Amino acid sequence: MKNELTLSFLAIEENEALARMAMTCFITPLDPTLEEISEFKTIVSEAVTNAIIHGYECDGKSLVTIHATIEDRLIKMTVKDEGMGIFDVEQAMEPMFTTKPQMERSGMGFTIMESFADCIRVDSTLGAGTIVTFEKNFSPVTEVSRMR
Amino acid sequence: MATITQLENGIVLITLAGELDNHEANQIRTEVSTAIFTGKTRAIIWDLYKLGFMDSAGIGLILGRMRDLAPVNGETLILNPSPTMEKIFQFSGLSAVIRKCTVEEAIDEIGGVVHEK
Ligand SMILES: Nc1ncnc2c1ncn2[C@@H]1O[C@H](COP(=O)(O)OP(=O)(O)OP(=O)(O)O)[C@@H](O)[C@H]1O
Ligand SMILES: [Mg+2]
Repeated sequence: MKNELTLSFLAIEENEALARMAMTCFITPLDPTLEEISEFKTIVSEAVTNAIIHGYECDGKSLVTIHATIEDRLIKMTVKDEGMGIFDVEQAMEPMFTTKPQMERSGMGFTIMESFADCIRVDSTLGAGTIVTFEKNFSPVTEVSRMR
Repeated sequence: MATITQLENGIVLITLAGELDNHEANQIRTEVSTAIFTGKTRAIIWDLYKLGFMDSAGIGLILGRMRDLAPVNGETLILNPSPTMEKIFQFSGLSAVIRKCTVEEAIDEIGGVVHEK
């Protein structure tokens, strides 16, 4: 199957749930397993939350944009903000690294995204914004689930 | 959503439901913190059997409360996470406090007294 989606929304926390819901609907035709769905939702949630709270510091007026394609059973997704950018991407991706410990961030977002996606790339420019790119292959539909 | 119950012997039971993301964590953080600072909390049991989704915000919330309890050497147990949540806890070094058991069994482990349910 082939499909494509672009979704832009304001940098407010309420939109974290909206993004998860929209992206879950987008992958539903692939008949993913429950675990694939929840891992994919987690990836979306981490990336979108980062864009909202770090990229834009919840400014409530800038836009976060998700672009995603499905080709056969491969989903490619980018989550983009035009916010403050990341000072040092390599450091930001280390487990437990956070610039907002006072907000009870654990610094686990990138570690979770890396583990749940097949691959992840982070392109960021200070003062210009961040694009996080993911790929995830969904497992072939089994006979059992086809009979449902 | 968080349902908070003060059990005997300073054990606080927090049953989470719905989706625990950054937005939700910010909604419930004050309520949870207040409950812990009222009374002599020495252990927190997080029951996740009703929780449909959790991301790193859940880790921040739970680690934050573990820090609150550190001065009294308080205990934390996390019950019944989904397979995906369990992975997230593993990445965050929290495997040791995960249990698949009932609240009563968790209370037993901590060493509290269960009266009527
Ligand atoms: N879109 C972004 N724009 C600017 N900075 C970002 C962005 N995404 C991540 N960062 C930076 O990278 C750091 C690490 O991100 P990561 O998601 O791993 O942890 P966190 O968001 O701080 O905490 P957690 O995700 O565990 O709640 C952040 O603290 C922030 O400094
Ligand atoms: Mg994050």
